[in-house]
Amino acid sequence: MKFEDETQNLKGRMAIINALVIALLVVLGARLYFLQVVRGDYYAERAENQRIRRLRIPAPRGAIFDRNGKLLVDSRSTYNVLLAGEDMKGKDWNVLIEPLSDGLGLDPGLLRERFDEAKRQPAFEEVTVKEGATPADIAWVEAHSLELPMLLVREQPQRRYPSNGTLAHVLGYVGEISPEQLKQPRFKDPDVNPFVRDNPYRPGDIIGQEGLESTYDRYLRGRDGYREVEVDSRGRIQRDLSLVPPQPGQDLVTTIDLDLQLTAEEQLRNSPNKRGVIVAMDPQSGEILALASYPTFDPNLFSQRIGTPEGRREANALLRDPLTPLFNRAIRGRYPPGSTWKILMATAGLQQGAITIKNSNLVCGGGITIGNKFTRCMGSHGSPPLRLAIKKSCDAYFYRLGLKMGIGGIMQMVDEFDLNKRTGVDLPHELVSWTPSPEFKARFNPRDKEWRDIDTVYASFGQVYDFVTPLSMLRAQVAVANGGRLYVPHLLKEARAVAGAGPFPERPRQTFDHPDPKRLDIPVDQHDLVVDGMWAVVNEDGTGTAARIAGFDVAGKTGTAQVVGLGKDTGKNKDHSWFVSYAPAKKPEIAMIALIENVGFGGKFAAPAVHNIYQTYLAKAHPDLAPAQAPTVAQSAQHQ
Amino acid sequence: MVAILEKRRLRDFDWVLTLLAVVISLFGTWMIYNAQPDAGYWKKQLIGLGVSAVVMLAVAFTDYRKLVHIAPAFYAFGLVLLVVVLIPGIGLKINGQRCWIGVPGLGQFQPSEFMKIPTVLMLARYFGRPRGSVLTVRETIVGLGILILPVGLIMLEPDAGQAITYFPLLAVVLFLSSVRMWLVIAALVLGTASIPAAWVVGVKTGAIKPYQQERINVILDPENADRRGFGYHTWQSILTVGKGGLWGSEQKGAASQSQLKFLPEPHTDFIFAVTAENTGFAGCLLLLLAYAVLLTKLIHGARRAPDRTGMLVIMAIVGGLAFQIFINVGMALGLLPVIGVPLPLMSAGLSAILSTSVAIGFAISIRLRRFVN
Repeated sequence: MKFEDETQNLKGRMAIINALVIALLVVLGARLYFLQVVRGDYYAERAENQRIRRLRIPAPRGAIFDRNGKLLVDSRSTYNVLLAGEDMKGKDWNVLIEPLSDGLGLDPGLLRERFDEAKRQPAFEEVTVKEGATPADIAWVEAHSLELPMLLVREQPQRRYPSNGTLAHVLGYVGEISPEQLKQPRFKDPDVNPFVRDNPYRPGDIIGQEGLESTYDRYLRGRDGYREVEVDSRGRIQRDLSLVPPQPGQDLVTTIDLDLQLTAEEQLRNSPNKRGVIVAMDPQSGEILALASYPTFDPNLFSQRIGTPEGRREANALLRDPLTPLFNRAIRGRYPPGSTWKILMATAGLQQGAITIKNSNLVCGGGITIGNKFTRCMGSHGSPPLRLAIKKSCDAYFYRLGLKMGIGGIMQMVDEFDLNKRTGVDLPHELVSWTPSPEFKARFNPRDKEWRDIDTVYASFGQVYDFVTPLSMLRAQVAVANGGRLYVPHLLKEARAVAGAGPFPERPRQTFDHPDPKRLDIPVDQHDLVVDGMWAVVNEDGTGTAARIAGFDVAGKTGTAQVVGLGKDTGKNKDHSWFVSYAPAKKPEIAMIALIENVGFGGKFAAPAVHNIYQTYLAKAHPDLAPAQAPTVAQSAQHQ
Repeated sequence: MVAILEKRRLRDFDWVLTLLAVVISLFGTWMIYNAQPDAGYWKKQLIGLGVSAVVMLAVAFTDYRKLVHIAPAFYAFGLVLLVVVLIPGIGLKINGQRCWIGVPGLGQFQPSEFMKIPTVLMLARYFGRPRGSVLTVRETIVGLGILILPVGLIMLEPDAGQAITYFPLLAVVLFLSSVRMWLVIAALVLGTASIPAAWVVGVKTGAIKPYQQERINVILDPENADRRGFGYHTWQSILTVGKGGLWGSEQKGAASQSQLKFLPEPHTDFIFAVTAENTGFAGCLLLLLAYAVLLTKLIHGARRAPDRTGMLVIMAIVGGLAFQIFINVGMALGLLPVIGVPLPLMSAGLSAILSTSVAIGFAISIRLRRFVN
């Protein structure tokens, strides 16, 4: 070098710089080796995970039909506009209110409310801005993807239920699975529910929450497909990588006859209080033809609007409604059965030998005195035979029948007719009836625990200690009608098969899985006597003549159930009006129970309702009998 | 005479250095293409390379001593540009920094990038006189003065990334100007020790704000730091580099980290990550090797410089390039915080490639004159 100096070792210093440069490059090389060779696979996988996204394609849920193939429930695609919470972190939400309310035609106050609610939640992912977006809304969102990249449009299959709350309590509704539900064995444990093995429940799944939607969720639910896509850093889809189409759920065919159902609902809607239950059943199979419970509700609220603050307010109002519209009265309402109870008493009395066909007379006497208390009959029937006692609904006859059977006999009857058990209907949340027993009294009336004769008297005509669900009552009555076959009432006719698709195997046809009917030993002659009494109720000068139809031997029994003590039966404490019935009497095709709440005498309200439903039934099944006619003398005489 | 000169010129022309620079910059252009094939940055870069080659030759065949002689003029002109760039309306504000001057028809250029050359020349001019003593305090102050004017103006833009690339220029020059070795060692020891101490004190007293701590955490533990916020760049760069593996990722092209926009600034600051994704450990190692040869070759040239000034020019350039390479690649590998410093010869950008070419032109020019006196 030409410029070496005395003051420093320049050559050495330059060598140091050279060494330093090489050392730095070696450090970089070592780090590179670590990242690429040692940990390369790990980072490659992490990079793949952020590049590839699996988008679920929700499977269409099975549709629900009535027994004649009329569509009751289906799903349609709707689109929701969502706000990605991720993109909104630490940003001012309020600046969005004006453009969104203008662009999507939303109420600014409502939008603010939704935002406030979303912000209160600790970890929200998405906020629904608008449900059921129109094509114009979707176009608007797409046109503004640059200014408002936080907006998403998501397809959402939505359940569509009949309007006016038709069949609401039968169909139920769908809703998002809750975190609590996800922990329940039913949604998790393959031993409890084998369907979860192939089709597990995941957070965010839409499942049946009530009614048939809940009971048969396993059939209705499809298997979600997915679309594997490549996304960029903003989550925008670049291209498709693979596609597995979803397998739709199985369609359900119910036992419901929509025409009967609509007529039944009409009867309740037209009743004075618009409250009550009507159930129609095929007495030869236990298939439920109609099940109406009023007041009703709109299941679309839960399937469509529950995600919104307005929807939740509406649902809360329903929950707090004192008239309990969400409540399926057929399986959750416990009512004193009144005189309809007498049919079971009569059947059991004959069975147990308390009365016989030859000598079925018991004293009426206008009432009975137990101790120093006189309990009166509504009329004075002398010493009637069973047929007359049923026809005229003689209370005192049944007081004495009850005393002859004893509480033990009544309890045996309750057990025989399964009134102390669930019917096993394929609907969730069924309640068990309350039936008379000394234990029940002890619980019900702790101050006076001892069972006395007067209690047996009360228990024998369907008051005080009897609280039955309408469905369990109908089931017992049907067993009387068909000669002793106690069917499990049900709503499923079949779940239709679905073909296999892609990775998903075929799903076979399913039917209602029920045991053979429980058989009661009702001798034919005893059966005939009770049926004849019920025929007379309608077709002679009985209490249920309002249900009479010429040529169609309707049998029935009225009931007037006291809600409170005698003499206070006014206003909202009025008696419940009952009518149980089946027809034709000798070879029943259809059985019904009607309960109209707090209106009074059974023959006046419930029997005409049942009559109208028979008319609808006849128009379909026996058009020749359909036109309503006054009964001819000849026909009446035949049955005398 | 002319013929002899020409012949010797060709013989002494540093072909290897030139070739290496050309190969690296063409490789870089290929990577810019890989980063964003549709964006057209690679075409601009090719044009830039053409211009740079001409400028490099022009500088190479000019006597560097003449240029060093008029260095103060360059220096003054550069300072004027650094002031001009701060004037709103002339200086363009990009990402909150006003460091670009728009030139109609040519695009935009970055004065802070070019100012390195006059600064190097000024330092070499001042410290290039034959040394008779150890480094004096006066010399140090003058050196700092030369540096502080452009650095101060750059900090006003503000562009801390560019500003810190000026310090190695002075450091190298001082180191080669008889600064006492014990001072160097003492400064190094003190500096190393003070960093953790300052950290502890800073966190305790609250002088280092939580978001600043977060930036350091990103380097210490990129995977668990805020991967969507401060740590995003570092984490994505690490993923991109790691994904490259030994021979380059199979998911290239449209499926690459840069084209899916996971990797930010792929054609400029993170061009090394793109290289890593596309060519793997093998390609990256070759690139680092090329840099090592290039820098060693420059140092070799410095040893044979005809005078101290020439030696200092080359060594300052070595210091500047090595520092930028380390900062940029270290950032891409998650060793250092994210600082916007281009990778010499690789990153897209006319200013950067031009200023590096001028620097290499100087090195060639100095070598060409090794026997001339």
